[in-house]
Amino acid sequence: MMNEAARQALSQTNFSTVDTIIVAVYLMLSLAIGLMVKRYAGSMENYIGAGRKVGTWLGIATMTGTELGLVTVMYSAQKGFTGGFAAFHVALIAGAGTLFVGLTGFVVGPLRQMEVLTIPEFYEKRFNKHVRVLGAVLLVLAGVMNMGLFLKVGSMFIIGMTGLASDGQTLQWVMIGLLVLVLVYTTLGGMISVVLTDYVQFAVLSFALLLVTGLSIRELGWQHIFDTVRHVHGDAGFDPTLEGTGFGWSYVFWMIIAVGFVGGAVWPTAVARALAMESVSSLRRQYCWSSISFAVRFLIPYFWGICALVFITASPAGRDLQVLFLPEDGSPPILENLYAMPVVLGRLLPPVLIGLVTAGMIAAFMSTHDSYFLTWSSVITQDIVAPLQRKPFPTESRVRLTRILIVLMGGYVLYWGLFYKGGEDIWDYMAVTGGIYFTGAFVVLMLGIYWKRTSTCGATLGLLSGLFMLLGLQPIQNAVGLRYVAANGEWVERLTSPQIGLLTVGLSIILTVVGSLLVPGSAATNASNEEANT
Amino acid sequence: MNWEWIWKVVFIVVTSLFALMSVLVTILGALDVKRLLQRLKDANDED
Repeated sequence: MMNEAARQALSQTNFSTVDTIIVAVYLMLSLAIGLMVKRYAGSMENYIGAGRKVGTWLGIATMTGTELGLVTVMYSAQKGFTGGFAAFHVALIAGAGTLFVGLTGFVVGPLRQMEVLTIPEFYEKRFNKHVRVLGAVLLVLAGVMNMGLFLKVGSMFIIGMTGLASDGQTLQWVMIGLLVLVLVYTTLGGMISVVLTDYVQFAVLSFALLLVTGLSIRELGWQHIFDTVRHVHGDAGFDPTLEGTGFGWSYVFWMIIAVGFVGGAVWPTAVARALAMESVSSLRRQYCWSSISFAVRFLIPYFWGICALVFITASPAGRDLQVLFLPEDGSPPILENLYAMPVVLGRLLPPVLIGLVTAGMIAAFMSTHDSYFLTWSSVITQDIVAPLQRKPFPTESRVRLTRILIVLMGGYVLYWGLFYKGGEDIWDYMAVTGGIYFTGAFVVLMLGIYWKRTSTCGATLGLLSGLFMLLGLQPIQNAVGLRYVAANGEWVERLTSPQIGLLTVGLSIILTVVGSLLVPGSAATNASNEEANT
Repeated sequence: MNWEWIWKVVFIVVTSLFALMSVLVTILGALDVKRLLQRLKDANDED
């Protein structure tokens, strides 16, 4: 619940009736696309892979559309707000990692050559059906937890930008409204509608991002932004290697794995785009170009978060916000810092532009949701239910089940958004929950493709070791004593989440290698490995 | 190491490249959309 001062501050947005109309028209257009392409979504290949007919440029747009979501913008802005320019190292790592995947075809090239539709399908081709089901269960567990806070964060953006009266009830209703919208058009059109709406989103959002950034620099002053960050954060606002500031070397190494390699080569929503490409060469082109947007999806929102900090701490117009976000007397802030960026943009941007940005962001929100819903539900259908069926599982039943699962996941996301009580930054929550899957999958995919001797036993152990990552979640850290309150009343962490992430990756490598050496794979397994390498 | 200078260069280079990419993807992506719909329509007609 918010107090009167917060409500008053939120109401000072430039969002007007014209902007409401812009948002409404844009959303109706998205729904129309979903309805228009419904007739092409009959087969499973079309429904979850757009018939593998996506060209390079559309592939770049859809990859960007998926990964540059509203949630990304929100959590990155939060990181920029709290960490300053030091957060930029994550953007640099994301771009370099994706470029590396594009230049080498690392992991995704062999996967596309094998013509699998999902990562667990690779597990079955390379190992056996049990590894496929296990990999899929872990993937869905991590993936669904990972998107647990999306709806809440997206709704907070809309409240911050539009100035909707912000109490508990409003947040819930905005969440429900957004959810219904996403569910309708994702269940209708599958991947084809996702790809097309991603394109529209790219066209609107890419120019809006640049325009808003330019406007923010003009309003706040280029050098003034850097000077204010130095004044507020000191060197920690620039140097990502400084320990004890929220970053440090273990954080940087964790980001190299989580963002550099996993974000492009192992994260299923990105891989789903790669596997929908018409050829391996267009896939690699897609990754090389997308490396720019993979960097930008962090870089520009970080910058917006930094601009919010500058506006609040060093601009007369933001004076009333300081008491809400960064009280000078050291008392707890009244508003969560996630609201900082949308509230400040709501004041900086003029009407019409604010409508376009809000519409683009809602579209970005929908495109991330639809991709995630579609990816996780199709993994359940294709990689858990179908392999366990004794009777044939016809296409219509698969598409129907996928649609039902999408609706069920929508219910879960609403529930989790309302009840999760962790206090970590949203980005750190996502890196940890995603890590349950990717720490194991990264190792098993990499070794499964490039190391002939990886066996079923090694793969099983490697995948299971990802569960160790659960210890990175704050409520679990508190429960097992990894995080506790010291005598002086401050929270102390025995192991930080990045350290747990690095340990989990190390454990997964050791278990996969030891398991493979102790229980080697069969001749059939090695033969399919050679197929993966060609 | 002068981190402020590094982040200024990174910011300018990456956003400039993104501006160029946005123009290219918007124009050439539209052609890809047209091609995709035609292919799906053809495949649909064959069924």
